Amino acid sequence: MRTEAFSEVQTGYAVARKPTIWEVLTSEKYFKWTLLIPLLVVLAIFMLYPLLYCAYYSFHQWGMRGEAIYVGAQNYRQLLNDKAFLEALYRTLKVLVICVSCELLIGLGLALLWSREFPGENIVRGLALLPLLVAPLILSLLWNFMFEYDFGAVNLILQALGLNKVYWWSPQRALYTICFITIWQWFPFSTFVLVAGLRSLPRDVFEAAKVDGASPWYTFRRLTLPMLSPLIMIIVVLRTMWLIRLFDPLYGTTRGGVQTELLDWIVYRTAFVYFDIGYGSTMAIFSLVLTIAVCAIMFKMLMRALGGTR
Amino acid sequence: MRHRGIVGGLVVALVLVCSFAVLAQEKFGLKDIPEIKNKKPINMIVETGAAWDKVIEYIKQFETVTGVKVNIERVASPVVYSKENVELMAGTGYYDVVYVETSWTCEWSDYLFDLEELAAKYDPKGVEGFREDIQNISPVLLRCGQAYGKQMVLPFYTYHMGMFLRQDVYDDPTEQAAFKAKYGYDLKPPTTYKELYDQAEFFTRKKGDTLKGKTLDHDLYGVAMMAGAYQINDEISCWIWGMGGDYATVVKNPDGTIKEFVITKKDKDILKQALTQYKDLLKFAPAGCLTANFDFACAQQGEGFAIIQPHQFASLFTWTADLLKEKVPDGRLGIYPTVGGQPYTGAWSLGVAKASKNPEAAYWLVRYIASYDCQKVLMKEGGQFSARMDLLLDPEFHSPETEYPLGLVCSYLVDIWKQQAPYVDNYWYFNTRAGGKVYEMQMNVLHKPMAEEVTVDECVEELVAKTIELTSKFDTVPIREE
Repeated sequence: MRTEAFSEVQTGYAVARKPTIWEVLTSEKYFKWTLLIPLLVVLAIFMLYPLLYCAYYSFHQWGMRGEAIYVGAQNYRQLLNDKAFLEALYRTLKVLVICVSCELLIGLGLALLWSREFPGENIVRGLALLPLLVAPLILSLLWNFMFEYDFGAVNLILQALGLNKVYWWSPQRALYTICFITIWQWFPFSTFVLVAGLRSLPRDVFEAAKVDGASPWYTFRRLTLPMLSPLIMIIVVLRTMWLIRLFDPLYGTTRGGVQTELLDWIVYRTAFVYFDIGYGSTMAIFSLVLTIAVCAIMFKMLMRALGGTR
Repeated sequence: MRHRGIVGGLVVALVLVCSFAVLAQEKFGLKDIPEIKNKKPINMIVETGAAWDKVIEYIKQFETVTGVKVNIERVASPVVYSKENVELMAGTGYYDVVYVETSWTCEWSDYLFDLEELAAKYDPKGVEGFREDIQNISPVLLRCGQAYGKQMVLPFYTYHMGMFLRQDVYDDPTEQAAFKAKYGYDLKPPTTYKELYDQAEFFTRKKGDTLKGKTLDHDLYGVAMMAGAYQINDEISCWIWGMGGDYATVVKNPDGTIKEFVITKKDKDILKQALTQYKDLLKFAPAGCLTANFDFACAQQGEGFAIIQPHQFASLFTWTADLLKEKVPDGRLGIYPTVGGQPYTGAWSLGVAKASKNPEAAYWLVRYIASYDCQKVLMKEGGQFSARMDLLLDPEFHSPETEYPLGLVCSYLVDIWKQQAPYVDNYWYFNTRAGGKVYEMQMNVLHKPMAEEVTVDECVEELVAKTIELTSKFDTVPIREE
């Protein structure tokens, strides 16, 4: 204390005190980094490091035994000429389009019905949530039995109605059956997001439209849909990300057979069944880049949609 | 006279004592495990299912006697390979006792102890004692558990395949007469593809037709097969082995070491023929066979919907027979060699990881689980079939009450092992380090022509290319196409 007083006298002005670490961390300038750094460290360890590791191995040939051999872009060249991979990619895009469209249509239809009050609404909504609560693998096993040709419940019902049995797992239908299982599990997600959206829309706009004599279809097309578009885009972006990685419905049913092999299944098969880590990493990196590209485009569209509602 | 009686009695007593002594010597059991010095706990991974449910109870006895804790991790069988592979390759030693499907033995041989090496180190009776005990195990399965002449694993239970057929239908005079009238030869279990095809065709009937003189209230299929992308390769193995082919031919040096693998023209031709015949036969199978695994095929036969399962795991015979008894009370199954007489073979087996922290305890646990006593539990309580021939021939499993279905399979296995033993040494699966990978690849590729995704020729082309690719990556033995 004395020393400080002395130095003040000697120099004629107060010496700036060194701020404590706590003060630096909580200062206006650094506080955002204080909050972000723990997350960034976790992401770097558990996301960035494996990602870089995966990218590194995508240029190597390695089967977990011995040294990895550098092969340059050979794995990528192989990938672009790999018929099985390209077919899996095409099927994934097909599943993506079918599932997202159907989930949105069903979700929107049900959301319009369920956004109104009706007797037993809580029970209905509760039951509709059930598919989302069941583990996807269990669900795929259940549907596998339900769609079985001779013993399956679906065909038994069809027969009881006097209709012919359908071979749901034929090479021509199996992919659509997989789509059905996926849609059945995920339509409640779209429904509930859209119900929440519908309930939060401003009532005065709709009342004004009614006063002006707008028809229900016109109101839906020009008011409801544009106002819901940010939520629709969120559903599309999220479901796209999840559908590119669709895996569980295959595991419990066709295991990639009868022309149903999708992108994630072929990556799994290459990397974790054959343990061809090099080529499997190449596929995984491609899949990641594709997901990022598709989602980036959709994110842009989402931002535009959000801008439109402001 | 009295002396004679006493002498006679003594002789009988002596014979009995000697017999018991011999028996006691023959059957290694818990009591023969010496004190284990290393008390570190050991870890192992096993499948889910009834067999292990029962055996785990007896592993507790091992813990009590040896004082070594055994931690058991249970997973579904498709996950076993990937979980163990990572730990073995990384040398973590996490799993002390390794659960091995026999086609992986060569692949993992660098990471497993030669069991004779451990016997020499830890067994008071040495290698001889070990050999004496395992001579009761099926020679076929012992060979499957060897890598380059060394015994790496001991079998736990076998899934050797066989042909299941409806014996009651084959024995029916009406069916026999109708078959002979149509095809010109006697109805008997098929031994050639033509016979199998004829019989599959003959038994494929529509609802309203008759079987054994009774009207059917459902469609009937000649065969039930597993054409899904999961076990089709096991069926195809039966087919090509039975025709004298393989996925690749093992070429050996004069000293018995492996020189190279060659995918010969004969191998490819046989594979093409097998796939074509398999696909042809599918028209007599339920539609669901295209995505089917073993459970579906057995259920079809058990429900009375199919007459023949041309290739099925023998371990599933009792389950199918019990199901049939429930659904078709007068139904009865028979088990026979698959066409060509060389069914797919193998066993879930146990070995000791080189990186184990307690190889001593791991070795004794493997010996204990492969012992007569433990294997008896597996059969009597776990419902699986032991790899031990002394157990399969035990009169307990051949009494009038147990002969069907249990004893029938026991006799089948012992006979087929004797018949197949000379061939196993040359099966490609059991000579390559790429066996596990190629096996998994085959499931996917061999299924494709059945699902009309590719033609048979394209399938063979893809299979050859991928076999060469994977073998080149994962084995040091050169491979080429002829």
